[in-house]
Amino acid sequence: MQQAVFGRAANLKRGDFRGSAGEYFGIWIVNVLLTIVTLGIYSAWAKVRRNRYFYGNSFVDDHSFEYHARGMQIFIGRAIVFAYIILYNIVLTFMPFVGIALGVLMLLLLPWIVMRSLRFNARVTSYRNIRFDFTGKTWGAFVAIIIGGIVALFSFGILAPFASRWLYRYIFNNLRYGDRPFSTDPKIGSLYLIMIVGMALGGGLGLLAYFTAADSASFGMDDDPTFQIVMAIYGVLIPAFLLFGIAAIFYRIGVRNVVMNATTLDTRHRLFSDLGRLRYFWILVSNLIVSVVTLGLMRPWAAVREHRYVVTHSGIVVDGELGEVVSSIQQSGSAVTAEYLDLEGFDFGF
Amino acid sequence: MGKTLVVSLDGKTGDPVAVNDLSRVDVSARVGRIPRRITFANGSLFETEDNDAVDLWLRSHRRIGFVHELERFHPRLIGVVLAIFLLAGLIYRFAVPALVEVAVLATPPVVTQWMASGTLISLDKTVFSASDLPEVKRREISDAFAGIAAVSVRGVDGYKLNFRRGGPIGPNAFALPDGSLVITDELVELAAGDLDMITGVLAHEIGHVEREHSLRQLYRAAGTAGLIMLIAGDIGSAGEDIMTNGAALLALSYSRDAESEADRVSVELMTKAGRDPAAINRFFSLIEEKYGRDDDSSFLSTHPGTGDRRKAIEDYAKEFSGSKSP
Repeated sequence: MQQAVFGRAANLKRGDFRGSAGEYFGIWIVNVLLTIVTLGIYSAWAKVRRNRYFYGNSFVDDHSFEYHARGMQIFIGRAIVFAYIILYNIVLTFMPFVGIALGVLMLLLLPWIVMRSLRFNARVTSYRNIRFDFTGKTWGAFVAIIIGGIVALFSFGILAPFASRWLYRYIFNNLRYGDRPFSTDPKIGSLYLIMIVGMALGGGLGLLAYFTAADSASFGMDDDPTFQIVMAIYGVLIPAFLLFGIAAIFYRIGVRNVVMNATTLDTRHRLFSDLGRLRYFWILVSNLIVSVVTLGLMRPWAAVREHRYVVTHSGIVVDGELGEVVSSIQQSGSAVTAEYLDLEGFDFGF
Repeated sequence: MGKTLVVSLDGKTGDPVAVNDLSRVDVSARVGRIPRRITFANGSLFETEDNDAVDLWLRSHRRIGFVHELERFHPRLIGVVLAIFLLAGLIYRFAVPALVEVAVLATPPVVTQWMASGTLISLDKTVFSASDLPEVKRREISDAFAGIAAVSVRGVDGYKLNFRRGGPIGPNAFALPDGSLVITDELVELAAGDLDMITGVLAHEIGHVEREHSLRQLYRAAGTAGLIMLIAGDIGSAGEDIMTNGAALLALSYSRDAESEADRVSVELMTKAGRDPAAINRFFSLIEEKYGRDDDSSFLSTHPGTGDRRKAIEDYAKEFSGSKSP
């Protein structure tokens, strides 16, 4: 079907995910065990093993991605943030005004941390021994995240597509594969369309779920005063969260499709994404239910299932042969070098 | 040290393709079946899916990690799962409460004040309207309240009583962590002049403040969600949304133990102030009459059923006054 839509379908390289739930189960469960017995310290190394498994099993054109981060880098990044929060609390107790200053400083540092973590995540990712890189600056992150967030919040979401556009332009226009730039320019009209469809779907499904739940659970008022206030707040908040959450999922899926399809590598090769809204939503919801019902034991299966869907519905429309394109990039001398290795790894992704 | 790795192409004699110092060669750790990468000192790369051969070769040259061995799909994993359930139970039973206590102790007083004033402002904007109780009535309740606040740990200055019309939340009273209490007009109207009953409910709310229940509940909810996310590593985007929002919602309710504890504080304060210690029970009866229902354990609710609860209050009232008077 895609062949009819995309004229150069012969060069559409779809992703291919080769991981299996059984294999990932072992990795995940050992990660959990070691994280507990090391009081959380192992979680940094656990993240590395998890990402290496998912990246290493994501193939395009028979070559997989690779995740190069070291556990120690991620551990140092987390330790820095953790230490700052502890310091902030101590100072706030003894010198409230200095503490408030530290809090404001933390807000100002946020764009820098986001920029560093985008850069870290790009630099530790490679495909065919060529690394990605991110060249964005702190000011760009400030506009994309803080200003974008404020605009989206204070317009009650009406201007959210503009915020999304700033964010993804910041991410993709600064992303490099080797020395070749990515660039993107999602149309604001398409993003608005996505938002309207998302709200309609979210509203429809959310209302349906709410009325079903309200029907089946027609329990009376509880007799406890605090319970009543809680019910009154829950009665308003739960449907609100539900509606908002569902609409947000549809919005995210749609935005991903629009943004990726509007992104090019080296001005010639177009990224591709065709996630099905309802299908992906169903995967997320059923994954959640299965994971909860099995006390988390099926979470690895769910993660592999979701990942497989996302990877197989992403790809790149190559202008020419992918192999040739990659070797031309390799020749321009941008393979892995030591200068790429940051000391600390802020890895607070999106 | 001093070991050399020589790479030759299969079936060809002559000069090797690469000669490397073994100590500077980086062999990636084994994860599942993903291709193994051997990175040489000059940045060139050898990639293979033959993980077993790499391990066999490595075993004779350097130590190899045990993590992959542990991760392999093997009956041993059942033991890992059981160990995790056991540890998770222990964490929930012991580590979470301990962390909550540490966090409560470490919380700067400013933070509770910010939280409380923020909550009251947002409730004022969304739910409440100004009280229309007559001034005399308010003075009467405030005086009775000052009487029980005076015998509480924080004293009269530790608390501030606010009157509001509750609107959708109806007859209610609640406390914010900084000692601000709110009582709704509907509750005062429901009490129909029973001042002891109103005071009993307020004493119960003082109990929540004194024992810092809302801060504890907040930390318990947030801490549990945070630990799950840290330990599970990756719970999916839908899972994360539910965890963060669910923790925020759970933080609004008190646990069963917290309610019983506040009931006991109510009894103690009322006795000390020379009022009817079990007056709060009349409030429960009234609410029960009004909503016509006495389920001793309602589903979804973590609170003691009213029957049990009233009995516990009466017992404690006898016990407490008995231990005080003789």
